[in-house]
Amino acid sequence: MAALTTGSFLRKVSVPGSGAAGGGGARLRSIAGTRPSVQNGQLLVSAGLPALDQLLGGGLAVGTLLLIEEDKYNIYSSLIFKYFLAEGIVCGHTLLVASAKEDPGDILQELPEPLHDDNYKKVLDEGRSHKSQEEPEISMKIAWRYQNLPQMEAGPGTSSRFGHYYDVSKRMSQEVIQSAKWHKFFLPEEITSYANVESCALNHGYTKLLHFIQRVISEQGFDGSNPQKKQKNILRIGIQSLGSPLWGDDICCADTPEHMHSLTRFLYVLRGLLRMSLSACIITVPSHLIQNKAVTSRIRNLSDTVVGLESFIGSEKEANSLYKDYHGLIHIHQIPRLNSLICDVSDTKDLAFKLQRKVFTIEWVQDNYLRQERNIYPPGFSYLLKQKDSAWGEGSLQHSTFLMSFLAKTTAFASRLVRHCEPLKQTGSGGIRQTAEPGMWHDGRRQRAPGLLGIAT
Amino acid sequence: MLQILASRGDLVLLRDSVEWEGRSLLKALIREVALKGEQVQVLGCEVSEEVFREGLDSDTNSRLVYHDVFRDPQGWTGNWGPLGILRACLRGAEPGPCTLAVDSLSWLLLHAPCSALCQTLRALGHDNSHPGRVRVLGLLHEDVHGPGPLGALRSLAQIEVTVGGNLGFTTAQVFHPKPRHRSIEQTYWFSILPNFSLEFHKETLLEPRPHRGPQSPTVDAMADLTFNVHLSKKEREARDTLALPFHFSSEKQQSLLHPALASSTSQIFYEPDADDYLDQEDPDDDLDI
Repeated sequence: MAALTTGSFLRKVSVPGSGAAGGGGARLRSIAGTRPSVQNGQLLVSAGLPALDQLLGGGLAVGTLLLIEEDKYNIYSSLIFKYFLAEGIVCGHTLLVASAKEDPGDILQELPEPLHDDNYKKVLDEGRSHKSQEEPEISMKIAWRYQNLPQMEAGPGTSSRFGHYYDVSKRMSQEVIQSAKWHKFFLPEEITSYANVESCALNHGYTKLLHFIQRVISEQGFDGSNPQKKQKNILRIGIQSLGSPLWGDDICCADTPEHMHSLTRFLYVLRGLLRMSLSACIITVPSHLIQNKAVTSRIRNLSDTVVGLESFIGSEKEANSLYKDYHGLIHIHQIPRLNSLICDVSDTKDLAFKLQRKVFTIEWVQDNYLRQERNIYPPGFSYLLKQKDSAWGEGSLQHSTFLMSFLAKTTAFASRLVRHCEPLKQTGSGGIRQTAEPGMWHDGRRQRAPGLLGIAT
Repeated sequence: MLQILASRGDLVLLRDSVEWEGRSLLKALIREVALKGEQVQVLGCEVSEEVFREGLDSDTNSRLVYHDVFRDPQGWTGNWGPLGILRACLRGAEPGPCTLAVDSLSWLLLHAPCSALCQTLRALGHDNSHPGRVRVLGLLHEDVHGPGPLGALRSLAQIEVTVGGNLGFTTAQVFHPKPRHRSIEQTYWFSILPNFSLEFHKETLLEPRPHRGPQSPTVDAMADLTFNVHLSKKEREARDTLALPFHFSSEKQQSLLHPALASSTSQIFYEPDADDYLDQEDPDDDLDI
């Protein structure tokens, strides 16, 4: 990723006006539609949904792979796929769309239309006014600091041109689509003969797709091999329903597939191609069809960011009153740790999405301050609190006694573990006495706190 | 029922099982389509042509174009395997809206790789000579296959019809997934007459077979609680007027600003304990300030 680090460094240096002298990479302006991450300086592109960007830690890093595990009927995952492509067109990036099911030209015709700032506020308010008619706002007397917690996605004013907003009910206009630069890979057109010309290592369709991507990257200069005089740009790759039987792969059809490693090898090579070029890739995989769990976990490990969608269509969760406002759940399975040891994004979230008429919103289930503090309250309690005229509201006797007893129980459990251990043997002067906290107990065995001298137990 | 199946470019899966066979429903649908004047291509794999044509009237039979695989399942007489014949079904068809009925997708799944079959079905549905006007009706025996191939075909299909039956009536559950809670899911009760016409009945005759298992429409967590969840009006008023202890109200401010007024109400009573050690010397005496 040498190109990226030099880019982020060079951007801070003020360049004297060199005018028409423009050599190859001496002057690197920032690429449209990208911004450096505030956490680790990585170059990020938007995934098309600002709420999703926020969940992924600011955006999708350039050179990484976003894997979407499709929902059962591939309705909402194709929507996220289209958001990604639409964002690419709006930012002026080059697109590469590959599919075995639909013609990529048809996919591009169905992209949502971008919204301008003032339109978006109107659309959001429409959505919110519906909601507020159903539940009146409960003003909080004790926890008044939590009253005005911000919603999931910040408004257009604060995101400063990084993510754009789209209106799902309208299509992107033809002129904008025509002006975009894109490459297409449609499998039935590439493979015209049905003879089994499979190499033992990789599926025929996958091999062709990899060659195609490599050709586009090297010819168009996304990997720096063809030094461009003009502005550097990002290549956005979108591959739809990879691993489905339409690609000629049978990991979705059979319990013991013949070419089990086809898809994993493809992902490995693809990630290599992505890392050495200025590109970002989104792949949707119908992982609900994959019977072998080992294959699913391998696919997740080989991708950088993994987001799973679970829709409520035809499932028994549709009847559950907890989920009646939403259309499905989002699970963030994996976030990459790029150039760092940990990722900054917390992984305890209950996220649900709903597709309103115009926007796709992601929210915490029962967006309630207590739900976020789930290490204090048990899951069912916030549901009791949210009932109209609940006797369990804050400030009530029931609430405080419940709290005291619940907290007492949790700490008593932890202290019970401590009391049964051997007394500590002191070494040295005994100045530092290791105190036991509930947090030190994992798997029933006390672990040493980092940074202290080793004390034998 | 055919209005639901009216959309084109779709794969419609007819799933039957050991308990209730679906071939009669397939033939009934073919009859309905043929009565509208359309030509129907049939790929017959499981039963012979005579058995298939039996029971259908002459009008329908004249509009059926039958491609027989049953006679030669291994493809010894020609060069094409079963998938090749499937692909060739539409080649001789007249231009215009076209329906292709596959007698059984299960047979094809057992004789051809699943991925190749899916690719062929998709190519058929989007055939260039009949742009967007081909409808494929496929019969699938769901007991025969594992969840893998079933799931793959279900993801390819736009409409699923599950055939079942109860006490002499046939049921068909039609499921057409769409976004935003708008999916169409409907159960039809009918009986198939000997000439393969459909006679629909009201649903209230018998209790419907549960689709998602026994579940009440709304899960009410508030029922059967041993404690009180809701407040009465009086209780709510009392709660609202309650002064919270840590609110900095004006009374508290007054009491802090004017401690003299409050000193009479708050006093500290001290009883010296026997173990208390009261040192008469004041250690602050040593300080020289």
